Amino acid sequence: MAKIGVFICHCGENVGAKVDCTKLAAALGDHPGVAVSVEYKYFCSDPGQESVKKAIRDNNLTGVVVAACSPRMHEATFRKACAEAGLNPYLCEIANIREQCSWVHTDKDLATEKAMDITRSMVEKVKRNNKLQPIEVPVTRRALVIGGGIAGIQAALDIANAGQDVVLVEREPSLGGHMAQLSETFPTLDCSQCIMTPRMVEAAQHPKIRLLTYSEIESVDGYIGNFTVRVRMKSRYVDIDKCTGCGDCITKCPAKKISSEFDCSLGKRTAIYTPFAQSVPNIPVIDKANCIYFKNGKCKICAKTCQCDAINFDMPDTFVDLEVGAIVVATGFQVQNNSLYGEYGYGKYPDVINGLQFERLASASGPTAGKIMRPSDGAEPQTVVFIQCAGSRDPSKGVRYCSKICCMYTAKHAMLYAHKVHDGKTHIFYMDIRAAGKGYDEFSRRAIEEDEAAYIRGRVSKVWQENGKLMVRGVDTLLGKPVEIAADMVVLATAIVAQPDAKEFAKTIGIGYDEYGFYNEAHLKLRPVESSTAGVFLAGACQSPKDIPDSVAQASATASKVLALFSKDKLEREPVVATNNEVTCAGCWGCVLACPYNAIEKKDIVDRSGRVIKRVASINPGLCQGCGTCVTFCRSNSIDLAGFTEKQIFAEVMGL
Amino acid sequence: MSIEEQYRKRAMELLSGGAVKMVIGYGRGSNAERRRPVFISSPEEVNRLVLDEACIANLSGYLVNEGLLSDEKRVAVFLRPEGIRAINILAAESQLDAEQIVIFGFDVSGNEVKALKGIHVEEFEDVIGAIKEHAPEMGNEELLEKIEQMNPQERFAFWKEEFAKCIKCYACRQACPMCYCRRCIVDSNQPQWVNTSSHSLGNFEWNIVRAFHLSGRCVECGNCDRACPVNIPLRLINHRMAQEVLKSFDHFAGMSKTQEPVLASFKKDDSETFIL
Amino acid sequence: MSEPFEPKIIAFVCTYCTYAGADLAGTSRLKYAPNVRIIRLPCTGRISPMFILKALQKGADGVLISGCHPGDCHFTHGNYHARRRWMVFRALLDFIGIPPERVKYSWISAAEGVKFAEFINSVTNDIRKLGPFEQYSQLIEQTQAPASL
Repeated sequence: MAKIGVFICHCGENVGAKVDCTKLAAALGDHPGVAVSVEYKYFCSDPGQESVKKAIRDNNLTGVVVAACSPRMHEATFRKACAEAGLNPYLCEIANIREQCSWVHTDKDLATEKAMDITRSMVEKVKRNNKLQPIEVPVTRRALVIGGGIAGIQAALDIANAGQDVVLVEREPSLGGHMAQLSETFPTLDCSQCIMTPRMVEAAQHPKIRLLTYSEIESVDGYIGNFTVRVRMKSRYVDIDKCTGCGDCITKCPAKKISSEFDCSLGKRTAIYTPFAQSVPNIPVIDKANCIYFKNGKCKICAKTCQCDAINFDMPDTFVDLEVGAIVVATGFQVQNNSLYGEYGYGKYPDVINGLQFERLASASGPTAGKIMRPSDGAEPQTVVFIQCAGSRDPSKGVRYCSKICCMYTAKHAMLYAHKVHDGKTHIFYMDIRAAGKGYDEFSRRAIEEDEAAYIRGRVSKVWQENGKLMVRGVDTLLGKPVEIAADMVVLATAIVAQPDAKEFAKTIGIGYDEYGFYNEAHLKLRPVESSTAGVFLAGACQSPKDIPDSVAQASATASKVLALFSKDKLEREPVVATNNEVTCAGCWGCVLACPYNAIEKKDIVDRSGRVIKRVASINPGLCQGCGTCVTFCRSNSIDLAGFTEKQIFAEVMGL
Repeated sequence: MSIEEQYRKRAMELLSGGAVKMVIGYGRGSNAERRRPVFISSPEEVNRLVLDEACIANLSGYLVNEGLLSDEKRVAVFLRPEGIRAINILAAESQLDAEQIVIFGFDVSGNEVKALKGIHVEEFEDVIGAIKEHAPEMGNEELLEKIEQMNPQERFAFWKEEFAKCIKCYACRQACPMCYCRRCIVDSNQPQWVNTSSHSLGNFEWNIVRAFHLSGRCVECGNCDRACPVNIPLRLINHRMAQEVLKSFDHFAGMSKTQEPVLASFKKDDSETFIL
Repeated sequence: MSEPFEPKIIAFVCTYCTYAGADLAGTSRLKYAPNVRIIRLPCTGRISPMFILKALQKGADGVLISGCHPGDCHFTHGNYHARRRWMVFRALLDFIGIPPERVKYSWISAAEGVKFAEFINSVTNDIRKLGPFEQYSQLIEQTQAPASL
């Protein structure tokens, strides 16, 4: 038998002035199942809350309705008070008679009548509320960080330095990502490798970090606190335990003319190689596609050279199964293929390069040892044209969004060039200079004022070759005139785009992505480092184009999220989750498709002999966020949502 | 050789070779015009199979009878194009494994029965695509037109009168291959969303709910129409809903066995002209 | 002279956007018609067509459904699923003779207190003009069985 207590709050004059609280209390007092119906000036005050608690104890109430302000204000307050009085907090509901009644209506009789409806309806709901307990999910205190660029390294170090285990997975042979390729970094012009390599070494040597390079994620199952992940460790053909990293094999390898990915095709590498000199780990891999032995069955010079017997041509891929509680996705970006812009001649003229290639030219460890030499003949270019937004902010050919980092790195390129080629000329075609960030505007001003970069506001229509020069035709929109520049080299500030397999990978881990393949955050403003899947976090440029400071900041933010998750043995969640009645479930699995959180799985029910006798949907309370979309979809009415059950809502409507 | 003979022969071969454990087809009914389903599991019985223009029932619903397919053996079934679409939906909704279904496809135009080429459901996509483009006449177009012309009050009055006849026998549900739920929402009484009495409100609610549950899933086989003992034009409502999902979402139920259910999926640019 | 007809309207709204928008209308002290009774759900994805039928059974002359704008759903796509469902259900109600004008849909964000107040006023006016939903009340009257819980 229901014994509901109704507590009508005047909220000073806020409710009282427009709702006749005495009449309301009397009306509710007559409502079936209501044991107590009282009014008071401020129930949220300490004496107010005490009176609620006392009423619960004195009357053995089975449910509480507080008719007052919005549940968004004080639902938590009153639920806590109920819990203190020994009543399950989920047996307390708020009837909103302030924001949605007294404050918005002028006629006292009508407002009172509406308040009665609202409160009665809520009493009917509360009669059907169930005692709910917070959901407890065990947490495996080990994090998986996917991607060994600066974002991944930062996240891994932050988590590890807090004493938690981390597995850092990188698909390339070395840590480093794009940052390792950069020359100097804006806005301080410190050498990228000088600040990056110590981080790489720290990550590799950290006792709490297990490093898996040249490895890819094969599958991810489970849910927050309890993921199982399978990692494929691609065969290096070099035994990582035996190799000392002496590099003799690399020196002796006869296949020397392979275009280096790390140097963006501006340099060459061998078939057995490390991507760059400071690679971490400093263990080479054999590029099977270009290795002479793998192609012709003869060679093995590396194996003969190796004094540690580390080379094994029969080495298979191996798999590692991991149990982790949280996942940080830091899979980074790629630069867009410039050949989209045929009129700029990328791919046709060797001296038209992209920004990342310029980084390699300017890098002291790059193919030209930091000397600016144009790719066609190695000559020092005297005039360089930079074209910004070569792909970004161009819905017709490129991408609609701003790649965010190009304004800054182009200014940096102009400076680096000016510092290395003292009498060189730079021209920069731009749409807008977007230099928001600490020290950024000052930096781009310096490029203009000290290093004499000539900024031309306008787009380039065409680049062609004439008399050994690259002719750049564009427009100066400030002067309203066409411009033609004879350049020795053209650098395109190419758009930053998602990794080629970003969407596929998102499906592997079960997170959302946008139309471009960048990963979706749970809330753009308030939950920017969480994915929509609980326990999976996003760091760096896999979420959107980002510079180093932003990537590092975001990575540290993910670490704090992971550490918060790891701060308890068990994770407590609001019990507003869906449950499925497996007896009545028809197993159509529409809910599996409809669920925005991949929280519903297909489940086979088997008999003792293991024969499948029924197939049903199974909802994982660890992943369910309680939206209820599945409930509405379910034709057999098998799914229900705690806190907003079918019975509760039915009663609310019928109570009106 | 007539199609009937061909299919009997094929049924014989499949059964005697053990390729299928059962053939679900049509046999003689209680009078010359009627056919009833037959379930043949031995080659000696194939002569009971009949195939002519009177074979109209959609037999696909029998496949999801509990336990029939759980031994993973194959079952052959006589199906018109609507029935083949139903197989696609049942497969898309995980009610059966399309690999287990051997199809004896046929269609009737006028008095002529013609065989449809193919054995597995994937092989009929062209046939289904053609129906999507040119829907065959259902014989109820005139009534549909008449209802569309009515104002809401007249429409309400029309359906009120039709639904008043409903005796809540649930024959429509029993006959429908898409009504495979073990427990129908109408049988759920906590809460009782649908009034079970066959009074006017209960009848209204039941028929609305059933039509909604079939939206985007009905193949318009007409099993419900034929099953209804009081002749409510049930298929007409389902037909109208099929038109709606086709127009709004380009969704033609049963196009393929991997088709996503229309109400469990969405597009970000779905129409929303009605939303203020 | 009889009094002007005051419709009974039942609204189903999501807690993250429209319910918060209604709260904002309150904190902004906007004034609107007192005919609407709001039922709060976590998401528009949770709003079942059955709710609409039950509201009509309780004598509602109009039903409102409102949630987050497309792209703003707290649960990422509950409102997209809801939108499809309503498109279909609306057509069904229309075909059965339940005028679509009596079931209104809107997107109202947590910031749109003004839109909420205006929406309630305009819908109340519209339903007032349509008059009581007599055909449905006749159905209910013919129904002797009480609402079962």
